[in-house]
Amino acid sequence: MMVTVAGRELVLSPRVAYRAARAEVARTPRVLKAWYGVLLVLMAFGAVGAALTIPPGTEVFGTTPSFEWGILISAYVFFAITTSGLCLGSSLGTVFGIDMFRPLEKRHAILAVLSLTTAFGIIALDLHYPVRMVFGAVFNPSLTSPMWWMGVFYGVYLVFLLVEVWSMFTEHPHIHRYACLASSCTAVLAPSTLGAVFGVLFARSYWYGLFTPVAMLVTALLAGSALLGIVFYLVVRFELTGFERGRRLAIPAIRILLAVGLVGSLVLLGRGLVAGLSSEDAALHGATMAQLSGPLAVPFWARLVGGLAIPLVLIALPATRTVAGTGLAAALAFVGVVVDRLLFVHAGQIIPTTAVGGVVSETFVAYTPSLVEISIVVAAFAFVAFVYTLAERYLDLRETDFHIGFHLPGFVTTARERLAARRVAVEPIETSDDLAGGTL
Amino acid sequence: MNEPDDQEAGNALTPQLSRRQVLGLGAVAVPCLAGSTVLFDWLTGITAGPIENVEPITARYDPTAHRWGFAVNTNTCIGCGLCVVACKEENGVTEDPEYSRTWVERHTTTADGVVHVDSPEGGINGFTPDTAPVMVAGATVTDVRFVARLCMQCEDSPCTGVCPVGATYRTPDGVILVDEDRCIGCGYCVVACPYGARYIVPAGGDSPRSVPGVADKCTFCYHRITTGRRPACVEACPVGARIFGDLNDPMSPVSIVLREKPTKVLKAGLGTKPRVYYVGLEGEVDA
Repeated sequence: MMVTVAGRELVLSPRVAYRAARAEVARTPRVLKAWYGVLLVLMAFGAVGAALTIPPGTEVFGTTPSFEWGILISAYVFFAITTSGLCLGSSLGTVFGIDMFRPLEKRHAILAVLSLTTAFGIIALDLHYPVRMVFGAVFNPSLTSPMWWMGVFYGVYLVFLLVEVWSMFTEHPHIHRYACLASSCTAVLAPSTLGAVFGVLFARSYWYGLFTPVAMLVTALLAGSALLGIVFYLVVRFELTGFERGRRLAIPAIRILLAVGLVGSLVLLGRGLVAGLSSEDAALHGATMAQLSGPLAVPFWARLVGGLAIPLVLIALPATRTVAGTGLAAALAFVGVVVDRLLFVHAGQIIPTTAVGGVVSETFVAYTPSLVEISIVVAAFAFVAFVYTLAERYLDLRETDFHIGFHLPGFVTTARERLAARRVAVEPIETSDDLAGGTL
Repeated sequence: MNEPDDQEAGNALTPQLSRRQVLGLGAVAVPCLAGSTVLFDWLTGITAGPIENVEPITARYDPTAHRWGFAVNTNTCIGCGLCVVACKEENGVTEDPEYSRTWVERHTTTADGVVHVDSPEGGINGFTPDTAPVMVAGATVTDVRFVARLCMQCEDSPCTGVCPVGATYRTPDGVILVDEDRCIGCGYCVVACPYGARYIVPAGGDSPRSVPGVADKCTFCYHRITTGRRPACVEACPVGARIFGDLNDPMSPVSIVLREKPTKVLKAGLGTKPRVYYVGLEGEVDA
């Protein structure tokens, strides 16, 4: 049987596959082999941790009835919103046809699929009966549950994303156009519903309220933009496929997205602090104080300064408005979002709802993640990095030439044309060489 | 005239299977069918009809005829912990105090009006003087009372609404139950409960009658009350501090208490309308 992979005709047989794999390993640069090795080791640790979680009810997590949702939920939330954020930013190019966001399209789609499948994997490990969830959600839908809606939206989102990726790589422009539009709409709905999962819980004052879905959406944009920032920094740094357009268009585009995400996150953080400090609700006030000066103070301030303020400064200052500056800002913002999601899930449960058995009236509920939880979360990041590296090396990540986009309102189109005309006047017209580049 | 062509076309479309292929197909199909049957049986538990129409536990029990309620008299509770022991034994709950369907808290009020709440070992071993709360050491204590805790069986229960697969539900007699064959163990109801009354059953040899990995909580001993008995904790209480009965029956113990004594519910401000009432608690109870 013959298959065509990356333009090469391959015969599918174990011997040929083995030879091809050996040849490929031999061709792979040593640094890349080391990178693969590290990631595979981390994934192996995660696999052991994952295996330990399979028997239902086994106590391999650091969670307790007073602190039911641990870092696996944080990681799930992080990857789930990241996948939406990736789509939110790049939809400006894929849906609205804005040129500067177009270089993001293929990389965003691959990362989005990876993030979402990783998120699903993590939540499956956190659930005690994941198979029941699939059948239960289909046969016993609970329309009052935000978690059910979240599952629906993210499930549909995965389908749209897969169609988007397929149509992108197989050059089906019309299907691609509608897949992009559908996935972009779902990219708004899904994280908002994820926010509602927390936002409807009036038992947890820190999570409760309308601002939680809004904050989730803004954090999604920040997370996705930050991940794209890291990826495009590496693309430009190592002169990978399309690095010229990446340098000229993608990096400034990511700077804009990052700025919007960072400012939005800061505003919502400020609102949350004011609401928490002025609240008479002991749980909300306590959770806020736990972050400002309590057990969560170190990660909170580290995130505020390192994950929000410094990246914003790096983007705002002309001296650091460079590829490296944007890459650093994106990396800091990315780590900041990870910490933020850990804080979010932790702060919502840190004030006890009751004096639980064995606990003597603690002010704060204690939670320390177990080694199993940590190994799974680390492996999740390693998995995304590993598969994305393979994609970067073996897939054709050049921009497609069938940007159709949807028609924008007249005044936007006019403004775009004026901007384009001005840019043409001051910049040399790009050549087809710009689209070229190396691979890993 | 077209007959031969049609015949040819028909022949072309008819799969030509050899006997060996048919036997091979059968060898694959039979185990698949058998597997599907097993899978279907297994899924039946998940895909059964609405839980509200579930068969009553006993044939003669009519859930629509009852409205169960519970009262806790904190003036009489001595904090012996026998109720906790009885509950764990009756329902096969693990001995770990973090996992309890019911537990007892000690509310210690100091002269400054602050109420300190603690529950060493969930109150299973009782409250002896040597277990006095650390935070009130040296302070003048003005009041100490023991407050039994359990699922509030709320009328507007946050736990039932959030369950993504409808595994937690309210029976017509007002008791909230968990279908252990449907629960996926996501913990959403545990997080949603403002009273900390739920937990995910841990695996282990000391939870003999509970399915590991699913949500669990107090059911008012539903298996007992539907056969005319009282909950285990009520029967075990030596001072009658736990009172149970049918709110539809004006002569039931709980109806009499509600009629004759001032009662409060926990976290009334949340609007969950608990069916567990407390006698003797002062002020707004946020614990």
